[in-house]
Amino acid sequence: MSENAIVVCTWSTGRDGLPEGAEEILHIGRGVAGALGKDLTWLVLGPLPQAAGELAGKYGVAQLHHAEDPKLDPAGSDACVEAIAAYWNEHSPATLIVHQTGEARVVAPRVAGRLGKAVVMNSISVEAVDSNYQVTASAYGGDTRVIYEVGGGSVLAFIANAVVPEPGEGPALTPEAISLDLSNAEERVQVVQEASFDGPRLDDAEIIVSGGRGLGSADNYKLIEELAAALGGLPGASRPIVDEGWVDSSRQVGLTGRITRPNLYIAVGISGASQHMAGCSAAGTIVAINRDADAAIFQYARYGIQGDALEILPELIRAASSR
Amino acid sequence: MKITVCVKEVMDPDAVNNYAVAGRLEIGPDGKTLTQTAIPKLMNGFDEQAIEAALQLRDAGADFTLTVVSAGPEPDKMLKHAAALGAQEIVSIPVDPAQIDHHAVATLLAAQIENSGGADLILCGRQASDDDQGVVPALIAERLGMPVVTVARAVELHGEKLRITRVTPEGDEVVEVACPAVVTISNEIGDPRYPTASAKVKARRVKPTVTSPADLNLGEAELQPRVMLTRQFVPEVQGNCEFLQGEPAEVANELIQRLEADSVL
Repeated sequence: MSENAIVVCTWSTGRDGLPEGAEEILHIGRGVAGALGKDLTWLVLGPLPQAAGELAGKYGVAQLHHAEDPKLDPAGSDACVEAIAAYWNEHSPATLIVHQTGEARVVAPRVAGRLGKAVVMNSISVEAVDSNYQVTASAYGGDTRVIYEVGGGSVLAFIANAVVPEPGEGPALTPEAISLDLSNAEERVQVVQEASFDGPRLDDAEIIVSGGRGLGSADNYKLIEELAAALGGLPGASRPIVDEGWVDSSRQVGLTGRITRPNLYIAVGISGASQHMAGCSAAGTIVAINRDADAAIFQYARYGIQGDALEILPELIRAASSR
Repeated sequence: MKITVCVKEVMDPDAVNNYAVAGRLEIGPDGKTLTQTAIPKLMNGFDEQAIEAALQLRDAGADFTLTVVSAGPEPDKMLKHAAALGAQEIVSIPVDPAQIDHHAVATLLAAQIENSGGADLILCGRQASDDDQGVVPALIAERLGMPVVTVARAVELHGEKLRITRVTPEGDEVVEVACPAVVTISNEIGDPRYPTASAKVKARRVKPTVTSPADLNLGEAELQPRVMLTRQFVPEVQGNCEFLQGEPAEVANELIQRLEADSVL
């Protein structure tokens, strides 16, 4: 029996044939299960990724549960909520963990609402204290951390993009098919026009050059695009210039934009507000270019250049292009 | 048609961030709350944008009664702002935030909406800028058996159907859902409008409908918190920034060389 296990739940497949952030959330699940002294179960809703058994073995999963249903391929949020609620009634997880994708932001609280369970988003870590759990989460756009106490059987969404998964060794698991009654599930929200962007995404970028208000005007954003192109990376943006309409919101890095994890993040004319840093602080190396030597961004940066972005960017584009 | 917007009062997130950046953000003796009394309280920005979404529907010709409701410590001043923006009714549910959690807030708001004859559309901000949790809209939807559509940048009403443009990592997605529904609004909808001076004056005389958990037949059992805030702290940032000095061309070359030497490039 898998009663009172830590259950990592994933659904839908991303570009690499795995659910988005699968390794990252399994990595987190393994840590949580260890900290709480529980077994780890991976519940896959919908088509089983080919690599699932092998991946489960690498992250210490004790049980790989798999529920297939036409309503879960692709999985709409109504079917997901129904499936997780049905699973819960059967297996009563100690804690259910999801990667905080846009879909999970809907599914996690709805599951909690339907079942009357506690729910915490933006989770960073969790530890057991007596019979309760203390969940550390981000608040105020990353300016503070809060510790919430929840009872057993709660739903936790983690910002998994911010961790670097460390696979271990372990024999591949054989998936165990489970059946969930989804006869009542009916999608009430119909997609009439799918998101069509299929170019490279900030989430997957190895190099990101982001611009902020310090650029002075929308026209100067082209320098950000040029430097990004010269380095083989993607251009990003801070929320203020998205709100100003200088660039499209798909470029926005931050808590309410994209959570990125590039090798190199170059922040130009960005002050380093916590809500922005929440989207890039996991970068391997951060470089900051800012006029103000006291800008918060320098606290996060490995290399800093204090000066006028409009003087430095053309020189950087030149230096990067001549590599 | 009835549209209800749910709003929350928060500490000005920009002011909080300014204190944080200056290293002066402090937590009070209770270990939970921010102490800076100088930080103004205002309506959560995303909630203000949810009101803006309703006003845009009105601009487009939709005919509805707009109610703005809030459960919190003293929501009245913020609700007057909602009245100045065009809410026909403002409803206040005074509660002590230390005693409740998101489930309880959603229970109160859902009960108030049900008690007042329901709503065809419930608009909320995508999240509150203090705790960033963003779970109340989905919890309200579950309480009322409504679908929920999140992170909208545009909302249109076509008869009984809503056409909503959502912001996703893959670009904009357009969905349709029948009323009644809960929709959360994101900052991409644009800056909320300001009330006119005369609307502000008029709004001063608008009295909020004040209701209480008891009025809504909700007792301790129904409002029992499941998530308790036990501590809040300011995370430390490890700074080891090395400043590169010189003329623009020099620092540009040096930066590229450093990044190559570090195998980052």
